[in-house]
Amino acid sequence: MTLLERMDRLVYATRIDRVIFMKAPPRSFRWTPLFVLAALIAGYVLMARTTGLPDRGFLIGFPLFYGALVAAPFLRILGPTAPRPLDERELIVKARAYAISGAVLASFAMLGCFYMASAGVPWLWHPSAALDWLNLGFGFQAGGMLLPTWIASWLQPRLDHDD
Amino acid sequence: MCKHNASSLIRDGHVTILYNRIAVFRAERGASRRELAEAVGVNNQTIGYLERGDYKPSLELAMKIAAYFGVPIELLFSFRPFESVADTLRRAAAAGEQSQ
Repeated sequence: MTLLERMDRLVYATRIDRVIFMKAPPRSFRWTPLFVLAALIAGYVLMARTTGLPDRGFLIGFPLFYGALVAAPFLRILGPTAPRPLDERELIVKARAYAISGAVLASFAMLGCFYMASAGVPWLWHPSAALDWLNLGFGFQAGGMLLPTWIASWLQPRLDHDD
Repeated sequence: MCKHNASSLIRDGHVTILYNRIAVFRAERGASRRELAEAVGVNNQTIGYLERGDYKPSLELAMKIAAYFGVPIELLFSFRPFESVADTLRRAAAAGEQSQ
């Protein structure tokens, strides 16, 4: 058996093929995206609080934030808004979920802009370091995957055992 | 009146209920949800939502389902609850006795 064949078998043995080729039926995630979102926010806060050399908070926040960042696309792939051929019901659910999450994210971005008007006030925290801004961008990116997954999971009724 | 699967839609302040008997026709034909889903080109979860009345199909999907069972669309979907199978059979039996 060649190395490529071995690697191919490994893919099927680990069942990663179900994720990559989207063989698994879409699942509802009614709570998981919230936990991931909470980890994302907590991780960001812990990292942003650190000034100077990485401290204990940063070392906890880093895996929390980047772990959530890695989990977000997996939830999207396995959830009801997965990027695969969808039927008419799934398309309606996806469109509604993205419309709602888009409005929510736009509102947060707008509020963030208003908040940034207070940039000169010394006792308020503002993203200043390059890492703060970079993580904020990644955070919005992950939020853009988690929110539609979470909303779409609530937009459709719970699955039956027969489904 | 039998318990039917129905999906509702709020229109002009009124709730419009769409009843269907896809499950009855599917059971009679002995087809699984997956088979029906593949025949009409949807996810089999969507057939489950349709049967439970959690989703109202588009006209295209409704017509595809009706064509699959080889029946007019109004035999599958209705704004009024369908008569139960037992009542239909009783009525048919009574009509048969009368004609004899």
